[in-house]
Amino acid sequence: MNVLVVGGGQVGGHVAQLLLTSGCQVTVIETRPAVLARVRRDVPGAATVVGNGTDFTLLEAAGAATADVVCAVTGIDETNLAIAAIAKFGFGVGRVLARVNNPRNRWLFETDLGVDVAVNQAELMAQLVVQGIELT
Amino acid sequence: MKVIVVGCGRLGSSLANELARRGNIVTVVDTDPAAFQRLAPGTTCRTVEGVGFDRDVLENAGIAAVDAVVATTGSDDANALIGRIGRSRYRVPQVIARLHDPRQAHLYRSLGVHPVSTIAWGTERICELLSFQPLEAVLTMGDSDVELLRVAAHTLLVGTPVSALTVAGEIQVVSIERGAQAFIPISGTTVHDQDILCFAVMSASKPRLRSMLGQE
Repeated sequence: MNVLVVGGGQVGGHVAQLLLTSGCQVTVIETRPAVLARVRRDVPGAATVVGNGTDFTLLEAAGAATADVVCAVTGIDETNLAIAAIAKFGFGVGRVLARVNNPRNRWLFETDLGVDVAVNQAELMAQLVVQGIELT
Repeated sequence: MKVIVVGCGRLGSSLANELARRGNIVTVVDTDPAAFQRLAPGTTCRTVEGVGFDRDVLENAGIAAVDAVVATTGSDDANALIGRIGRSRYRVPQVIARLHDPRQAHLYRSLGVHPVSTIAWGTERICELLSFQPLEAVLTMGDSDVELLRVAAHTLLVGTPVSALTVAGEIQVVSIERGAQAFIPISGTTVHDQDILCFAVMSASKPRLRSMLGQE
């Protein structure tokens, strides 16, 4: 499976690593060169592209048209939504996942904006924390 | 008309002030309350502090009952998103979003939002001004009393009826070259993009023609 990960910070790098381990082909797009250098070092199996993940030409060059999955996992919600919309409506990507940074923005992460799966980190973490408290 | 302007920067505040001056009911949204100082003193604009794609902020700004939303924040991602929310979630009749980076036009189109690109517009306008050519006669008659001038139609003239470019006894469009053909206009003829207009003009009326053509 061909996966494009947009955002190469701690979340993006870790996602790329896990996907590689499970046998996917992974390309990471990141605007900050220093951050991308860390991905190259820590996740040597992933292809990397420096640039803006909402730039249509750059996404095209990174293989968006042939990607099976796009993961928009930057730290900025409006950017993740823009990436999702371009991936879904501009390139017809089959499955689009997007990270919700601020839970207040959760209402926007729906199919009309190109999102198939919203990953709400604060919600996930909150539930795990609550579960952890109950276990003890 | 009820309008929400998101982003109270230079463009947003100027737009809000002008819309309010023309009697519209304007609500301005910005994350930074200090930005509202750009609004005219004693402004009738209502201000709402917050993120322009936050549901509570938009609903507090009255998005369910407005005629138009204009997104003029500094972020193309946010502007495209606000435009899309206005259209698909609240069915706002008119949605306009400012585009900063012309390369991001694809993003706006993906979201079905009409972009207004100030950069592309400014570039085109400056190029037009730089490529300004004085009116040169291709033929003169009498003692240069009447001149025949050939002029490429300015984009601002597109759609103008030829009758609006006619002044009895002074200025007359005698032919239009359009693509590979030329013809003589009739009363209902309008100017198309890339037309070449041929004018017969009295020499004394050239300044008037120049101003009609937007060359001043």
